[in-house]
Amino acid sequence: MDKQLDLLQGTLDMLILKAVSLGPLHGYGILLRIQQISKDRLEIQQGSLYPALYRLEHQGWIASEWGESENKRKAKYYTLTAAGKGRLQAETDNWNSMADVIRGILGTKPEEV
Amino acid sequence: MNSWSRLHSWWQAMLHRSRMETEMDRELRFHLEAFADDLVRSGVSPEQAMRRARIEFGAIERVKEEGREARGVARIGELLQDLRFAARMLQKSPGFTAVAVLTLALGIGANTAIFSVVNAVLLSPLPYADADRLVLVREVLPHAGPQPFEVSGPDISQIQKLNHVFQKVGGFRVWTYEFSGRGEPQRVTANRISSNLFDVLGVQPLVGRVFTSEEELPGHHVVILSYGLWQRRFDGQLAILGQTVNLDRKPYTIVGVMPRSFVLPLPGMAQGVAAELWVPLGLTKAELEDVGDNFDYSVAARLKPGVSLGQVNADLQLVAQGVLETYAKAMSDAHQSLGDFQLGMAAQPLRDDVTGPLRPTLWMLLGSVGLVLLIACVNVANLLMMRAAGRQKEMAVRLALGAGRFRLLRQFLVEGMLLASLGGALGLAVGLWFKDALVARMPASVPRFHAIELNWAVLLFTFLIVSVVGIVFGALPSIWASGTDPYSSLKEGGRGASEGRERQRTRALFVVVEVALSVMLLIGAGLLVRSFERVLNTDPGFRPERVLTASIDLPPDEYSKDEQVVSFYRQLTERLRQTPGILAVGGSTDLPLMGGWTHAFTPESYRPSPGSGLLMSYHSVIYGDYLQVMGIPLLRGRYFTDHDDRSSTHALIVSESLAKKYWPGQDPLGKRLKWGTAETASPWLTIVGIVGDVKQGPLDFVTALHTYEPYAQLGEAPSLRIAVRSQVEPASVAAAVRAAAWGLDRQLALANMRPMDEVISRSTAARRFNLLVVGSFAVLALALAALGIYAVLAFSVARRTHEIGVRMALGAGGGDVLGLVLGQALRVTVIGVCFGVVGALGLTRFLGNLLYEVQPTDPPTFVGVLLLLLSVSIAASYLPARRAMRVDPMVALRYE
Repeated sequence: MDKQLDLLQGTLDMLILKAVSLGPLHGYGILLRIQQISKDRLEIQQGSLYPALYRLEHQGWIASEWGESENKRKAKYYTLTAAGKGRLQAETDNWNSMADVIRGILGTKPEEV
Repeated sequence: MNSWSRLHSWWQAMLHRSRMETEMDRELRFHLEAFADDLVRSGVSPEQAMRRARIEFGAIERVKEEGREARGVARIGELLQDLRFAARMLQKSPGFTAVAVLTLALGIGANTAIFSVVNAVLLSPLPYADADRLVLVREVLPHAGPQPFEVSGPDISQIQKLNHVFQKVGGFRVWTYEFSGRGEPQRVTANRISSNLFDVLGVQPLVGRVFTSEEELPGHHVVILSYGLWQRRFDGQLAILGQTVNLDRKPYTIVGVMPRSFVLPLPGMAQGVAAELWVPLGLTKAELEDVGDNFDYSVAARLKPGVSLGQVNADLQLVAQGVLETYAKAMSDAHQSLGDFQLGMAAQPLRDDVTGPLRPTLWMLLGSVGLVLLIACVNVANLLMMRAAGRQKEMAVRLALGAGRFRLLRQFLVEGMLLASLGGALGLAVGLWFKDALVARMPASVPRFHAIELNWAVLLFTFLIVSVVGIVFGALPSIWASGTDPYSSLKEGGRGASEGRERQRTRALFVVVEVALSVMLLIGAGLLVRSFERVLNTDPGFRPERVLTASIDLPPDEYSKDEQVVSFYRQLTERLRQTPGILAVGGSTDLPLMGGWTHAFTPESYRPSPGSGLLMSYHSVIYGDYLQVMGIPLLRGRYFTDHDDRSSTHALIVSESLAKKYWPGQDPLGKRLKWGTAETASPWLTIVGIVGDVKQGPLDFVTALHTYEPYAQLGEAPSLRIAVRSQVEPASVAAAVRAAAWGLDRQLALANMRPMDEVISRSTAARRFNLLVVGSFAVLALALAALGIYAVLAFSVARRTHEIGVRMALGAGGGDVLGLVLGQALRVTVIGVCFGVVGALGLTRFLGNLLYEVQPTDPPTFVGVLLLLLSVSIAASYLPARRAMRVDPMVALRYE
């Protein structure tokens, strides 16, 4: 297994929005999906997930509903709202351009300055 | 971001706090169970799985707290927690809580009550539409002095015609009628009004209509009733229009009834008591021809929009010039000249007329009740500080354990608010009770067209007080608590040491402030007491005991000939004289204390200096043994006899001060004076007697010049007030007076039948009321100050037990300890009294004419208050001092 990376500050919200955009998920499912997509390279503190979920719900980007889990338990499922879709798009764009800039800076060679 | 959804989420969270909590629990449990299932699947034993899941998840409670915070409900939770803690703290020291809450309740309650009066009297709108645009117009006659007069009847139409600043101008005149034909005949106060007056005031009748402009001409017998009269005499029946009532024995048709809220004239206005009915103005030919005389008509006007009072008064000067031309014309028609007669006009807002005279009183009451609240607050602050001293360790521990200063401040604020709210809630109850007590004792001269009640404005006022008090009480202890760092306060409170000097000084300062404020209030109250005493001791100039008076106005149409009037009074007097128990009978156009006619006069060979104006005196036309009945002493000469009539030389009795003023050092008997100016064509009157001065206004009124003329000598026969002196209680001869009058004329209405004693006590009612209120505030303040001094000393002695023990062990005697405690008490008291006296010197001058024959710096009052405070201070220190003297050194040294 590759060495796990600590999550960059402020990126958890974005990852949650992305995970939920692929289909309704409960909290544990979100955790699993992010780990699965990242091929277990990201370490997410389980405890920090829920405050982030409540914050996003409070801000109206995700909505929640009680449903039934795969093993017939009551679970709270989160879905992306229309506002959340826009937010995710904006965050993705922002991240990409930021990553471009940072990569550009980090890739700079002495003769290019 | 969508602020609506955030609010919604927060609101949901607030509404469903408990549901949110259970959902959060369930969600987290699901997470742990799902996680544990996966762990089991990967080979962990089921017993171990749940434990592992919990450990990997982390601190669940912290997650929950962060979750609550994310939803914005954490603050509320903490606040509730603070509130619970504050309530526990207050419960833990019930003595402190009871004293603090009670003190605050007294302060807040008294303020609430006084403010409810001020709000109803000074701040509420008058019962007329848009009343701030209403003014009263008056005429100024520079010859007769600076104070304005009402308006001469014919001038009303001139003002209407000539002004450019009023939308509408209406007039009215106070009148009285004998009201009969329904129940017992009664004298009623009425207004003769211009047809547009109700329109000017912006009021409409409840039933029926207002007068038409045609009805304003004389001879239209229509009447509008007040709500009260309608209820009393007609049981409020709706089919009232078209019925008739008899006014001065002539039938008048009822055309309307005014609503209950409508009052005219308003209480406090110079026009006197509220009218019970209204009739058209109907200026007669004679009244219209009487130009420049009878300044008895009130003029109310509504300003045009955007017009200022300054513009109005400028315009009125032009109007006055126009009116003066009508005077000049009338004089030249009568082949006379106006000379240098001048006329001015002035408008004053209606509100000023109503509330103007009361304003100083109400501001004084508000000021003194404010002082009471301040004292109460200082007292509670003092208590809080003592408690803060006891809680220093708690604060230090909490700070040391990492509590934020803000968290501590919030805790104190919540405690302060809780304390203030409890005080406020109880204060409202106190206020309600106190307000009822105030209203029940309030003199009739206070306008009350709005019920004095605890309405929303009053509640808002109370709420504001509570908030300010709460915040201050919260902030103060937290400042004290944060003033010292945890380390040193832990150390200082550690073992039996005496208290920090700073704290002692702050507490002493509180007592100084408290004493100073009480001194100010006590001096104010003392000055009012002294004034009241002076008023009561004022010699009214007559002997009021066992004198009964009544007004008997004869209807002018029934008694149109002077002989009829004279004959009525002669018969009445004879009947009364024969009544057992009645010693003497007389009559007069005016009674003492009740004001009356003033008359211009000119003594013989008097040369007025230019611009000095007319000489004025009160003038009474008297009948029978009036002067003897009233006990007005004859100083020289003689009383009138039956021979003083039109056939003899015109006789006159003058008051002592008039005689002294115009014939100083001479014998005034035989000297002469005449009515009007030297040019006026009126006969000379010869002075035959000098009597003592009489208070014609209220007791605290300046004594004025007075002249008396015999009834039989007059060319007319005005109505009289009857006065009888009896052997027995005056009330017991009332029936005899009524029977004698009705024996002559069964329809006659007798009014104002009351003993002179009662007239006197009425004239001092306002002073008595002020005294009662301010006096009770002063007593309250004194009690609070005493409590404050006591609390500080008791606390200080308790804190210094160890020190006192050391002193005693080192040989100090009981006397030394006593001196220590008393010295501390007297020091703060004397300093407080000094500041209080300085403050009082600055404030009492604003009492103005609330004082009577007492200087605002009256030394006996100041000295008296000083002595009072010193003795109260000594009394308050008695218990603590005794406790200090009984300190057992051995116990004290072990005391912690």
